[in-house]
Amino acid sequence: MTISFAHRHVLEDHIIGFEMKPNAHHLSVSRRPTIVTVLAHAEAEEDVQLALDLLEDVSIRSCGPCEWLAVSQSSSPEALLRLLRAIPGSSAFDQSDGRVLMQISGPDVRRILAKCVGIDLHADVFAVGASGNMLIAHVAGNLARSGPDSFEIIVPRSYAGTVFEELKEMGREFALTAAFG
Amino acid sequence: MASLITCPHCGVRPKEEFSIRGDAVPVRPAPNASDETWNRYVFVRDNPKGVIREYWHHVSGCRRYLVVERDNVSHAVLSVTDATVAGRAGQKEGVR
Ligand SMILES: [Zn+2]
Repeated sequence: MTISFAHRHVLEDHIIGFEMKPNAHHLSVSRRPTIVTVLAHAEAEEDVQLALDLLEDVSIRSCGPCEWLAVSQSSSPEALLRLLRAIPGSSAFDQSDGRVLMQISGPDVRRILAKCVGIDLHADVFAVGASGNMLIAHVAGNLARSGPDSFEIIVPRSYAGTVFEELKEMGREFALTAAFG
Repeated sequence: MASLITCPHCGVRPKEEFSIRGDAVPVRPAPNASDETWNRYVFVRDNPKGVIREYWHHVSGCRRYLVVERDNVSHAVLSVTDATVAGRAGQKEGVR
């Protein structure tokens, strides 16, 4: 007997049935992003960072010293792992099934996030391209600024439901909509 | 208590992201040190008023251990260092 597994997104039950046209403030959940943890070996941090910056179509999020998340919407986990494991002095592990990626955007996105994270999100402090690990709605996740008015959130899969509901609640005053994207 | 900690890796962060892991002053004795020395290291703690040094673990951020020097009277944070860096500096000064 062969068993075939159907991929089912962890936020499926939170979103399906409530889909609507995106408003100005919108929360978009990626269906199947590729998310890989990269660690640099001792003394290799700078070299690995330089090599990561050269990768095309891969977004690099910093998690702390010697640790990054590599995110791609186009390449498969296998392809990205092959690319990353070729970097000397680094180790890479696939996290795609264990993390959930969401994009939140809109002119007042900072006011929504101010209710969920404890850091200063002004562009002078947290510029476009900046990223870091932090508490997001009481869950340890990674926040990155992808544009002046857009941010990307990565949280562990098992906490994605609570973070999603919390973000929707905090976005209610701005009529935040949510959908797979 | 100090409500904002400037992590050397992550920047200014709220204290909720950290877990305080205890006094950073005692230095681990050699394995063959006397029972009395080990007892002091494991169980005996001062409870000073004023400037203290503690281990703070940045659990929800970079997950590094930090050494936070702060004043428990004025709540001022005097310095925050990565524990590895602080440890190396201590070794150089010959704390052991
Ligand atoms: Zn940190």
